[in-house]
Amino acid sequence: MRQNLVELIRFSTYAELRAERSRSYLGLIWWVAEPAMMMVAFWLVFDVILKTGGPDYLPFLLVGLTLWQWMKSCITHGGYAIWGNLGLIRQVHLPVLVFPLVQMFADTIKFFYIFGLLLVVLWIAGFEPNMTYFALPAVFVATLLFSAGVGFLMAAVIPLIPDLRFVIEQILTAVMFLSGVVFALDDIPEKLKPWFELNPVVTLLDATRGILMHAQWPNWLALLKVSLISMVICAIGIGVVLRLAPRYPKLAA
Amino acid sequence: MEQPLIELEHVGVAFSAQRRVGSGKFWALEDVSLRLHEGERLGIIGRNGAGKSTLLRVIAGILRPDRGHMRRRTVSCQLLSLAVGFTPYLSGRDNAILSGLMIGLRQRDIVSRLPAIQEFSELGDFFDQPIATYSSGMLMRLGFSVAMQAEPDVLLIDEVLSVGDAEFQEKSGSALRERMRQGHTVVLVSHDETQVATLCDRLLWVEHGKNVCEGDRDKVFAAYHQQLDLGAEVS
Repeated sequence: MRQNLVELIRFSTYAELRAERSRSYLGLIWWVAEPAMMMVAFWLVFDVILKTGGPDYLPFLLVGLTLWQWMKSCITHGGYAIWGNLGLIRQVHLPVLVFPLVQMFADTIKFFYIFGLLLVVLWIAGFEPNMTYFALPAVFVATLLFSAGVGFLMAAVIPLIPDLRFVIEQILTAVMFLSGVVFALDDIPEKLKPWFELNPVVTLLDATRGILMHAQWPNWLALLKVSLISMVICAIGIGVVLRLAPRYPKLAA
Repeated sequence: MEQPLIELEHVGVAFSAQRRVGSGKFWALEDVSLRLHEGERLGIIGRNGAGKSTLLRVIAGILRPDRGHMRRRTVSCQLLSLAVGFTPYLSGRDNAILSGLMIGLRQRDIVSRLPAIQEFSELGDFFDQPIATYSSGMLMRLGFSVAMQAEPDVLLIDEVLSVGDAEFQEKSGSALRERMRQGHTVVLVSHDETQVATLCDRLLWVEHGKNVCEGDRDKVFAAYHQQLDLGAEVS
């Protein structure tokens, strides 16, 4: 049974990516085109019109959006996964954790492709590879743990309260602006700074930008804190999913 | 007598009536007891809304009883359902693998059976096309061919004995009857009395979520018919 589950998760992930490729005319090109279009929009608003971009704004934005897109996809896709598969859950006896996991794996594979492209763009722009790249896996693990934790929590409750979907998009947009994805948080009042530093997304973005743009080793203590908190969120999320699992087959899709 | 594979004792399953805070409960299954032994073919009969399908899903392990006890030996139970997990943009081949994995098969087993699935479903070259291009008949043929590959210890069937056009109905029906005759343990829910009569040796009669009687086929049928006749006279 266990081996069958591993195969199921692997093949479903492949199927998910493959289906996504065939769903649109341009297929995989959208993986890059979508973030690129978003980048252009933010660049126009913050750099060209408002002139608040600052030096190296484009690479700053590019790194931020790439990482944020991955986190957001894991959270929303993973979060909707159980709700979206209720029909299936009523038909077959499967561990429900499979559904969010598959979405998160698919989004992670997608991210690695986009990240590869991002590196090439950065190299061309003059940000050369450096020793601190060795810290990237640690940052990625922390990022995935955090996104997965939030994703599992969402996945657990959305089937019971589908109305949450309308709120989540707005919350994520707010979080994006409050986390320094599109503009640097240097100008926030000193009084508020400790509050902003509590946000794990800020830590993760700072670490990634430091590595890729300034050859700076991450703040290990901050990264460790984020990882530990994320592990706790993950454990709670998985626990809630398992606890609510008997209720899902009884819900209307 | 040997220990039963599955044993239900006074099992009940409740659904909440509506998706609203504090809405009441509705007991689809109130109090059902049954024993299933190895090699038995058990038919479940009863009127619409009696709780037959819910009962089948309890046996399959999809629904957990809200009250009563359920004991089962370590056996796999699979509800025969068509087109499990089918994804429109994938080919028939990929969908067959995906669906097979979902009904508990190992990947190498399904892959080795792909030629047989392609053959049985009569899809020919369409097998490698996205199933979004299939007609509903083609979809059902593929769904049935994949579902038939399941090899659980206990096979659970909910009135899907025949699908597709008349010819494929005949073919799928006989394939399924063949499997049931091979001595598998089977639980069958059906409205079709002749089907139940020819395929099952024991019956469970369920009404309003409770079992009315369980036992030898002819005995249960006699009681069931008597009650139906009584009902007809009253109304």
